[in-house]
Amino acid sequence: MKKIVLVCLLTVLAAYFVSGCKNGLENTKYKIIYSKNETDSEKVEQQKEKSYTIAIIPKVGGIPYFNEAEIGAMEAAKQLNVEVFFEGPDVADSEQQIRIIEEFIEKRVDVIAVSANDPEDLLPVLNRARNENIKVITWDADTLPEAREFFINMVHPETLGRHIMDTLAWNTGEEGDYIIMTASLTAANLSEWMHWMLVQQEEFYPQLNLIDVAETGEDPGEAYIQSLKMLDKYPDLKGIIGNGSIIAPSAAQAVREKNKSGEVAVVGLSPPTSMREFLKDGSAQVATLWSPKRLGYLTVVLAEQLLQGKYPEDWQDVPGVGIIRVMDDVVIMGEPIDFTAENVDQYDF
Amino acid sequence: MIFNLFKFRDYRLLSKLIMTYFLLTVIPMALLGYLAYKQYTSSIEKQAGEYVPLLLEQAHENIDNQFYEIKKLPNLVYNSSQVIEILRKDSYENKSGLLQDEFYVNSFLTRTYISSGSSPVLGVFILSNDRTFKAVKADFAGLDEHAYPFSPDVEPESKETVILPHQTSLRFEGNQPFIMLKRQLADYDNRGNLGTMFIVIDLTFLSNIFNNLNIENKADIWLMNGEGSIIFHTDASLIGAVDENITVYPLLNGSYRTLQGDNSRLVSKNTSEESGWILSHSILLKDLTEQTDLMRNVTVFLFIIFVILSTSVSVVVAWNVSRPLYRLTRLMKKVEKGNFYVDLPVNSNDEIGLLANSFNSMILEIRNLIQQNYQIQLRQKEAELYALQFQINPHFMYNTLETIGMAVEEGENDTVVKMVTLLGRMLRYSIGNKEKFVPVWMELTHIKDYLTIQEIRFEERLLFSITEEINTAAFFTPKFIIQPIVENAIKYGLDTKERLEISIVIRQHCDLLNGRDEIAFIITDNGPGITEDVLTELNKRFHSNPEVNRDGQFGLMNVHARITMTYGEQYGLKVESTVNSGTSVTVTIPVIRVENVHSVLERIDENDCRKNERCHCR
Repeated sequence: MKKIVLVCLLTVLAAYFVSGCKNGLENTKYKIIYSKNETDSEKVEQQKEKSYTIAIIPKVGGIPYFNEAEIGAMEAAKQLNVEVFFEGPDVADSEQQIRIIEEFIEKRVDVIAVSANDPEDLLPVLNRARNENIKVITWDADTLPEAREFFINMVHPETLGRHIMDTLAWNTGEEGDYIIMTASLTAANLSEWMHWMLVQQEEFYPQLNLIDVAETGEDPGEAYIQSLKMLDKYPDLKGIIGNGSIIAPSAAQAVREKNKSGEVAVVGLSPPTSMREFLKDGSAQVATLWSPKRLGYLTVVLAEQLLQGKYPEDWQDVPGVGIIRVMDDVVIMGEPIDFTAENVDQYDF
Repeated sequence: MIFNLFKFRDYRLLSKLIMTYFLLTVIPMALLGYLAYKQYTSSIEKQAGEYVPLLLEQAHENIDNQFYEIKKLPNLVYNSSQVIEILRKDSYENKSGLLQDEFYVNSFLTRTYISSGSSPVLGVFILSNDRTFKAVKADFAGLDEHAYPFSPDVEPESKETVILPHQTSLRFEGNQPFIMLKRQLADYDNRGNLGTMFIVIDLTFLSNIFNNLNIENKADIWLMNGEGSIIFHTDASLIGAVDENITVYPLLNGSYRTLQGDNSRLVSKNTSEESGWILSHSILLKDLTEQTDLMRNVTVFLFIIFVILSTSVSVVVAWNVSRPLYRLTRLMKKVEKGNFYVDLPVNSNDEIGLLANSFNSMILEIRNLIQQNYQIQLRQKEAELYALQFQINPHFMYNTLETIGMAVEEGENDTVVKMVTLLGRMLRYSIGNKEKFVPVWMELTHIKDYLTIQEIRFEERLLFSITEEINTAAFFTPKFIIQPIVENAIKYGLDTKERLEISIVIRQHCDLLNGRDEIAFIITDNGPGITEDVLTELNKRFHSNPEVNRDGQFGLMNVHARITMTYGEQYGLKVESTVNSGTSVTVTIPVIRVENVHSVLERIDENDCRKNERCHCR
């Protein structure tokens, strides 16, 4: 009986000391009851360690439009801490683009973003790149959809095409002969814009009359020469649409040369800096474009996000760019900007 | 502890019983209750500890969503290309141009941000090229335009910065809690900087979210950023303060309990992955376990009452067991000291009652035995000792021998022979001491021998007669019960009387008082008698204190004591006397027949006597 009592007491004592010691060893200030597992942060850190390389290929090197795009792309590269190679062919030519792309495949870049001179020519090389596990996107000018993940478009082609036709109509009184000078008849974006220009004209401006279409390439000199020729060829010409960023300045220069400022309206796609003097002296009326810097920036941002597995979303707010729209696999950066004599000074591209 | 245990066996039974009861009931019960309570509260704690973080997570998601919407607000500026155009301007030709632009932008901001009803925006400011555009809901003060210098060349930060109230001197009328969202407006097209936009958000919408979390209104809920600056708190005075403990919190996602005695708190936290903000919920455990604590207090109260009740019951029971034992001990001590006249009251029939009963009967038995054997034998021995001294009275011997000597001188040979024979017979009777009881005739012969010798010595001065009315051979008597009386009669009688007559009558008679037969020896003399006073005194001493001593009445007292001790108070001596005419001493003894001498010898049994003699009486 006494032994049992003794044992019981000792047990209780022992239990007390055991529990007491345990409390003493712990950090007594807190006792954790429930903790949520946090493992995600490690993964993110692992991904961050690797630096991506992104190759951006414009239609052609050296023209202001793509130079501005390069500035934007490099800005994004610096902010996102990725390596960006920006290299374009000397002339707007598919073959040279293919060669550049092949070089980049050799370099084993992570993304190739190309502004295609021809929607079909680049298919084989782009497919090869994709087989080598290189992501391919297009920007500025699209290829066939099967060659790339998505296309970064600047503006909606219908909006742009119809709007450019509107600017022509405003400056010609909705009547008279006009010509379209385009940098390329094959480039997908240029063709589509031209298509919508004509749709708009047929729909709303029956008095306007397209009398000729000229192809100039991405060469300002060539465009200038062709413009002079056209002005000579069609003395009653009322308007010129420059479908390509180097055409409108060249056409305006030709118009000024021929002293036809005000008689012949010059509209079209062009960066504002190239058009500033012509807009101010009246040899050109309206230039329409978007910010190529913004486009370059957006291309790098989306390429980087793609590498992280994120595809662009409709209404996505891209930092440094704003809200983008996505239609199927086409990203639309924003609305076109009209540059006129009044506002051209605001823009520095 | 062990030392105490060994001492346990020495404890009083009462203490043992109470201690045992305590060990067996109170301690296990208390332990059980305590463990159950602990377990219950800790399970409540655990439940709440898992449940609250989930609530917090939901609430935090809600907050994040709200802030997600709020963070999109600056983008609305880009909806107006005219506003963007104005923001791009860096110089004006005249004041009115500037004012016009300001008017335009301000009204745009008011339209867009302020007038749209339920929006939580308190105010919007855009600082651009030394211009300040603003739209506010309430009066404000303290906007420091120089704190955020503008430079168009600086690369715009694409992220919003949250500015907490303590980081700015900006204050709104009514002192509403707010945060300021700072966002650099980028010129997307030119890749430049348009200015800095500040959107001031009224945080009162958070209080709704907090209220939903705070059901009992007893918890502290606060939202703080990763550095511990409190963005919003249920206690409005703490908004803007810094939570110093931010560095020592054991976790930022989950629950823990602070160990600070009564002020223990259950703290739950949730950290948003998006903003890095920490939503905290802290509630006193007391509030959480309020219901349980009430139960606990009631239980403790009931437990204490139960312990008091049952302890008193156990004390009463233990007392009931131990008290009779204690009393028994006390009584036994009394008995040990010689007091056998004790009585243990019996109240029950249980073991204690049986014990008391046994004790009582044991004491009674002991008392009887002492009465019957020990005391009687002791006194008998004493009496016998003194009796023996009397048998051979040296004075008597000397006188007798002197008488014999004188007879020899005078040549009376017959007398000498007779006296020597008588003396020899007396001596033999005295020496024949083995049997205590002798036939009556032997006692009579002895006394006759004694009287004859005295007669020879005193010649005519002494006369005696012996009358036998019974068969003296059939009855027995103790020895030496007559001689002391006769000696006494001679001693006093011869001193005063010329001629002393002594008559001895032996008869059987029936005591009518108690209906039994007795043998009576009646010794009558014509001596001086005893005065009334001495007689009364004498009889009183016979009845009260039959103690043996050596004074004058020693012989009488001795005989009386021996008889009463042997046979009881109703037997013994009775003295009747008249002064100057004589004294009559009656010695009564029970009837003892030859056939029951042995049984009487072995055990003096009054009942036997009574049984045997009653028939004669009738």
